[in-house]
Amino acid sequence: MIDARSELKERLNKVFRDVFDDDSIEVVDAMTAKDIPEWDSLMHVILVVAVEKEFKIRLNAAEVGQLKNVGEMLNLIEKYSSR
Amino acid sequence: MMDTTQKKEALKGIKQKMVVGHHQEAFDSLVTLSNPDDDFILQTKYASFYNSIAGHLLVLKKIRVAILASSTTTHFIDVLKFWLAQEGFSAEIYESEYSTVHQSILDPQSQLYAFNPDIVFFFSSYRDIKCDLPPGSSEMQVENTIHAAVNECVSLWQVLRQKSNAHIIQCNADLPYLRIFGNYETTPVWGQTNILRQYNLNLAKALEPGVSILDLDFLASIYGRRKWHDSRFWYHSKHAFALDAIGLVAHELAKTMGAIKGTAKKCLVLDLDNTLWGGVIADDGLDGILLGSGADGEAFVDFQRYVLKLKERGIILAVCSKNEEETAKEVFLKHPDMVLKLEDIVIFKANWKDKASNIKEIAEVLNIGLDAIVFIDDNPVERELVKSNLPVVSVPEMPVDPSGYIDAVTSCSFFETVSFSDEDSIRSHYYRSNIERAEFQNQFTDLSGYLKSLEMEMIVDAFDEFHLPRIAQLINKSNQFHLTTTRYSEGEIASIQNNKDQKGLYFKLKDRFGDNGLISAVILHKQSDASLYIDTWVMSCRVLSRGVEEFICTEIISLAKEQKCLKVIGKYIPTAKNKLVAELYGRLNFKMVKNEEGITHWELLLNKDTPSFNPYIKKITNSTMTSEV
Repeated sequence: MIDARSELKERLNKVFRDVFDDDSIEVVDAMTAKDIPEWDSLMHVILVVAVEKEFKIRLNAAEVGQLKNVGEMLNLIEKYSSR
Repeated sequence: MMDTTQKKEALKGIKQKMVVGHHQEAFDSLVTLSNPDDDFILQTKYASFYNSIAGHLLVLKKIRVAILASSTTTHFIDVLKFWLAQEGFSAEIYESEYSTVHQSILDPQSQLYAFNPDIVFFFSSYRDIKCDLPPGSSEMQVENTIHAAVNECVSLWQVLRQKSNAHIIQCNADLPYLRIFGNYETTPVWGQTNILRQYNLNLAKALEPGVSILDLDFLASIYGRRKWHDSRFWYHSKHAFALDAIGLVAHELAKTMGAIKGTAKKCLVLDLDNTLWGGVIADDGLDGILLGSGADGEAFVDFQRYVLKLKERGIILAVCSKNEEETAKEVFLKHPDMVLKLEDIVIFKANWKDKASNIKEIAEVLNIGLDAIVFIDDNPVERELVKSNLPVVSVPEMPVDPSGYIDAVTSCSFFETVSFSDEDSIRSHYYRSNIERAEFQNQFTDLSGYLKSLEMEMIVDAFDEFHLPRIAQLINKSNQFHLTTTRYSEGEIASIQNNKDQKGLYFKLKDRFGDNGLISAVILHKQSDASLYIDTWVMSCRVLSRGVEEFICTEIISLAKEQKCLKVIGKYIPTAKNKLVAELYGRLNFKMVKNEEGITHWELLLNKDTPSFNPYIKKITNSTMTSEV
């Protein structure tokens, strides 16, 4: 059986590569904005919208601000996708 | 139409073009690919692609735009730059610090004024309008509150316009979808929905020359009001409307700025078969084409009504069709459901030549640029031919279903404008009588005989409030007969009358074929060395080769003499479009005194030998007109 979380991570990785226009990105749970130089507050908005579109989910305002690292992002995606 | 995933794939191809340095080609592909309705992610991609090639695109004109907002605009500005580039502008943008709109306007030392913008955009939303009243408020309270809210805008415009010559664009209120009283909101005067609607109407009434409205409420409604108000991104990062609407707003704003700067389209060239009616007239015959009855027939009638409305607001109509002329014209003459008549069409080209050559001829006869033309054809092959041969002509994609024709044209916002003058409503007539004049001229073997028989009369007068919109329009839309490339807002033009060393003159021409309207304007500066400098000289190309230039030159000379000037100075700044007037001053006996990389400086010394021109045009001043009445 394919691990659901690694499948989500694979899709999330694609979103990151697309948004930051960098095919060398490999996301890991601990990855934060500090690890990607372009990941500033402006790019964060684009990233969140791209994630919402890829996974067809809708985060609430507080969650948009809370997404500090990839692990948290995956948790949220899991939470919404399982509904 | 491509979907988002396909567009993302296409972007990879465009990236390849950028990598190998084909910047213009990459930009052209971006233009073809992009649509105002594309989502936020795509818009930011377009913006970042454009940003990395902007410096390599040579044809763009500089424009300085200040954005004064009470919300976050950083993403919007990037996207706006891309859509402005599609209008031919390379934009430098000043963004006010968050929530410092008032300070930057009121402080004369602010960075806003140092930036010296061409256009100032007040980006407000319903949240900025202080119109909250308790239920049951009196009519008087409502009126006062709205008045105060509108006045707040007006006083900011006034302060700004005292210190800057920028054209102002003000957002109106995008109505919220929250309605405390539900449907009943729209009934009492104090209902919040009603108050904001009245605010929008009163804002329009309070407009002054040099201020235009961006109808944000309309954009919210076509986007879908419930989606438009995405409060999540307001709470999170103060984005005033849904991020996915960013292209729609940027596109409309760029088109409005284009209208201010004179890039709106002037002429609609129409195919006939399957464009104005269904079927092929040569095959189906008068009673076989679809027009009037049936679903398609009604859609074609409605499309014609839409086209006729465009004509009535000043868009010139031409026909370009592969047909025998007589067969094609018969539909206009005999079909009972034709809305468009032959007299609505200024140029009628029904022949078997390729459409690109026909369109070129239409542009030449009308004396307008190819970039002022929109070409409508249902046939993708014809569209492609015109696009590839004449890339500056606008060729919208047309759907197969005629009921989508109007939307296909309107959604491109080709014909945005910030004013409407009498000249606009009868423009078509001007062009038609020009063609009659050309036929009349054929009866003459010598030019002077023809000019004499035209019985031309010219009204000459100083700029006044009444003619301001038309003067501004002429200065800002003229590209061919425009010597110094100046662009002035109505506010700037109005201020000329208050400056004792400046003078603005307008010229209105009449002849035996009728009124030509206000066809030329000049702005003259008296300089300290007793010279009169021609800062601006624009003229409608409709009246070329009729001795009008000579007449105007004579007027400038006599004004210079009256002002005790010793010489008249003129300048020619070459552009891609104004070669027509490169030798104008030479023809008018000016001497070239300097040539700086193509910019030529000319002067005419005033003495008894100064030539005077033109016996063919009779001068009438407005005062003599009044005495005749």
